[in-house]
Parts: sequence; C-alpha cells; structure tokens
Amino acid sequence: MQIAQPLQVAVEELSKLPGIGKKTALRLALFILKSNKESVDQFIKSLSELKSKLRLCSRCFNLAEDELCQVCMSQKRDKSIICVVEEASDVIAIERTNEYNGLYHVLGGVLSPLSGIGPESLKIKELINRFNSENIKEVLLAINPDTEGETTTLYLAKLIKPLGIRVTRIARGLPIGGDLEFADEATIGRAVNGRIEF
Amino acid sequence: MILSNIQLKNFRSHKSLNLNFSSGLNYIIGGNGQGKTSVIEAIVYLCTAKGHTVKTDGEAVCFNEDRFEIAGIFRGETENRANVIYTKSQNKKSYFKNEKKITRAADIIGKFPVVLLSPDDHAITQGTPGERRRFIDSVISQASETYFRNLLDYNKTLLQRSSLLNQIKDHRSKNMLSELDAWSSILVRTGSYIIKQRKRFINSFNEYVSQSYALIMEQAETPEVFYAHLGNYTGEDIEKEFERQIARRKEEEIARGTNLVGPQRDDFIFSLNGNNLKTYGSQGQHKTFQVALRFAEFFYLKEITGTEPIFLLDDVFGELDTHRAQKISQYLTNVEQAFITVTDLSNFSFLKRNETDNVIMLKAGEVTYA
Ligand SMILES: [Zn+2]
Repeated sequence: MQIAQPLQVAVEELSKLPGIGKKTALRLALFILKSNKESVDQFIKSLSELKSKLRLCSRCFNLAEDELCQVCMSQKRDKSIICVVEEASDVIAIERTNEYNGLYHVLGGVLSPLSGIGPESLKIKELINRFNSENIKEVLLAINPDTEGETTTLYLAKLIKPLGIRVTRIARGLPIGGDLEFADEATIGRAVNGRIEF
Repeated sequence: MILSNIQLKNFRSHKSLNLNFSSGLNYIIGGNGQGKTSVIEAIVYLCTAKGHTVKTDGEAVCFNEDRFEIAGIFRGETENRANVIYTKSQNKKSYFKNEKKITRAADIIGKFPVVLLSPDDHAITQGTPGERRRFIDSVISQASETYFRNLLDYNKTLLQRSSLLNQIKDHRSKNMLSELDAWSSILVRTGSYIIKQRKRFINSFNEYVSQSYALIMEQAETPEVFYAHLGNYTGEDIEKEFERQIARRKEEEIARGTNLVGPQRDDFIFSLNGNNLKTYGSQGQHKTFQVALRFAEFFYLKEITGTEPIFLLDDVFGELDTHRAQKISQYLTNVEQAFITVTDLSNFSFLKRNETDNVIMLKAGEVTYA
C-alpha cells in the first residue's frame, strides 16, 4: 500500500494513543486533513500547552499550572484533611462528585514488589513531611481496593496512626477491584462520604 | 442451557469445523487423531476461556497458522453467543459474549457452567495436593464469583509477597519489613476467607459425593472428603493461627524467599469406609471415586447456580468396567446436555441409548451425522 509520507507519519503517531488502532488512526488523520487551518492550529496548540503548561503540584503532586495546584491554592478548602489517592486522574474523579472539600495527596502508584515499587518510589515521605508543615487532623485513604491498593492502604494506616492523626478510609461502596476512575459519580460520592475509621 | 452449535477455525487439528448439537446425549465418534478431544477442548474454552490439555494457548493453534477462533451458541431461557479468538504472533486472547468484549476472568467463569470428566482426573485422587486444590477451587469458583475473585487476589498477593521476601533476603531495611507486615495482613485476610469458604464447601459437598458414589456403586461403600488446613482450626481461630504461624516463620520465609504458610499448602483427603483412598484404594476404587467427584460437581453446580452444567465425558468409557459404565450411561440419559467421545460406538453396545441421541462421526476432517 502506498500512502503519502506525511499521512503515514500522522497515522503512526495517532496509533500510539491508547485504544487507537491503525484503522481509526487513518480515519482521524484524514479528518484532520479535511479540517480548516484554524481548527488544526487550535488543536496543535492545545496539545502542546497540555505538555508545556502543566506540571505536578510541589505540595500534593496533583496536576498544576503553577508551583501549587488549584486545590492547594484555594482559600475555600478544608485544610485540615488530606485525601490520599493513587493517581491525578483519581483527583479529577473525586472533584467531579462535588462531595469532598479537603486537600489531596497523589502517591503516584501503589506498592508492588513485583514491579519494584516500594515505599521509597511513592510520595510517602512527602506526605509525612506535610504533617509538620501543615495543620493536618485527618487523612482519608481513597486508594483503589485491589490487592496492591489494599496493602498500600494498610501500610499507610499503620505508618500514620502513631503520629496522632485520624486515619479513615473510603467506604467499600466501590466494587472490588473497581477503579475510582471508572466508577460513576454517585458511587464515588457515597464512598467519600461514608468514611470508615481505621 | 445447552450448546447448540460450535464453529472452529484453525483450532488444533481442525482447519474449519461446524457442528450442530442437540439436547440430551451428543456422541462424538472418531479414531485416534480425528480431533474428538479438540471438540471437547473447544467447549471448555467457550466456558472458561482456557483449554484443559494445552499448557499455552499457542499450542491450540493449527500448524502453520497464527490465529484460532471458536464460536458457540448457547440456548437456554435466552440465546447467548460466545467467541474466543487467539492470535499467536501477538499472544493475545479475546473473549466475547454476545459480541461484547469481556476482559475479566471473573465475568466468564461459572457463567456457562461446565463439568469435564476425563482420564486426566486420575491426578485428583492420585496426584499432588496441588491437583486436588485445583479441582476444589474450580468447583467453588464456578459456583461463586466472589470466591474466584478472592482466589485471584490471593494468588497475586502470594506473588507480590514472595517477590518482597526475596528483596528482603538480599538487603533488609526497616521500610521493607513494615511493608512485609502489610502484605502479611492482606495475605491473612484473603487467605482466611479462602479457608473458611473451602470448609463450608466441603461440608455441603460431602453429601453430593455420597449420593454420586451410590449412583455408580450400589454396594455400601462410604466415601468422604476431608479438608486439611493450617492446624484445622475453625472460625476466628483460623485468622489467629494464620497470624501466629506467619509471625513464627517470618525469618524462615525470608531466608527461603518464599511463602510458607497459607491455603496454598492445604490438602484434601479422600476416604472410603474410613480408610485413606490414597494409601488403601484399589485402581477400581480410585476410578470410581474420580467419577463420583465429577458427578458430585455436576449436581452441586446444578443446585447452587440454578443452571445445569454441560457435562463433558472425554474418553471415559474405555477405562470403566461394563457394569459401572452402564450405570453412568443410564444416568446420563436424564441430563440436559452431555458430550461423550468414543472411538467406536460398536465397542460400547452396553451403553444406554436414546433414539434422539445426536451421533457425530469425525473422519479426516469430514463430519457425518448418524
Ligand atoms: Zn496541590
């Protein structure tokens, strides 16, 4: 099959995206080719800014445009509670429910010896440091309840409780092995509200 | 629920095969190498997304081909289509139910319950404890999705924990030891659940085993299954004993870099009239016990899931004496759907037959319905 070089390159790049096969990539590339110049430029700009303008919040490791993320900078949030999640996508999932008004801390993964991820590979030390610099009274553990997530939850609870901070976890409203990211908003909302004391 | 049609493409010896099945008995007849067992294996794939003779899916792909496809139609209160597609070059297997891709094994196992009786069953009573655990776990998993999910979780925990034990063996740190505590707690939590469920299961399964045994052998032999686990504690003491042993054997586990405590080391003991079958059983008693276990599985799953499993009997009648074969065959005339492979029906004139039996002959890739 003979395809013009620029098209071939575009298809190649698009098919690197998750869930996009060669066929879909070709359809997308042809669609972009047909679109007017302004909308293509707008599209390119948005992608490039996604990468250049976003970074990780230096306090909670959520996605941020500045040194601190919007949650950390907000005056309206309850600064005495931290919700600990696995990935920044979980912050988005919980924010969408409008049921939680505290701060976050993104671990950047869960414990997994098989993948070489131990406590040092996660933002756990950074979390403990926040207890010194901020006035934290409660930590809400909202990690996906699969095997690795449960172990991480337990590990953190045992680590934090002796420091005199209240430790809670989200209610098991989520299906076993269910990801926060894919659960519906009502379910996450119920889970965040129905906290369980450790 | 019955399987009414199956289509195979590049599956084991079958380049292309299309078979229609009926309710009741389906005889699949053919000489050695005509692909009888392959048809049985394809049915196992449709029900469990796995084969029972192949070690890897790649082995099930036709020689010189890259991909096999199995399509089946199940008819019950509703019609359900299942497809299994495997591509060797990508080592990628997909399972579809009614054209919808199913990614979690827990959404497949037990949805089309199946029971397979085959010569490999000798391993259940005569093989290693692992073979017995595999049998018991597969019965409970088909009956309970929660059990199956917990079993998968438990196996993952074992892998993670042994990896950590090995890391600690190489360079120990305080962080790692607290991480080990967390993995141990999860191991105890999930493992205790598995032990409790297995105990509960054996309690009710024993009745099914006695009934099934009586069905095959009228003389009064009393079969029983015992579950040997972690000091055989009950209730809350299971967790406590699990924790005690984990604590006591911690250093040994680290030194060996492996999990030494838990239901992955349990065994099941079969007895006849109070004597251990493994030590005292004759070949005939072993065989009868194996058949009785499969029938017990069939009755148990039928009762618990409310769906009668598809009963597969691969190459079984050659191994049984006429009397027992007759008894089994007699019973099979009552089941909703069974598949029986034999090399030559004329050798089995003692089998109880119905006029409505579906008889399929396989020869050199050709199919004839007798
Ligand atoms: Zn932040």
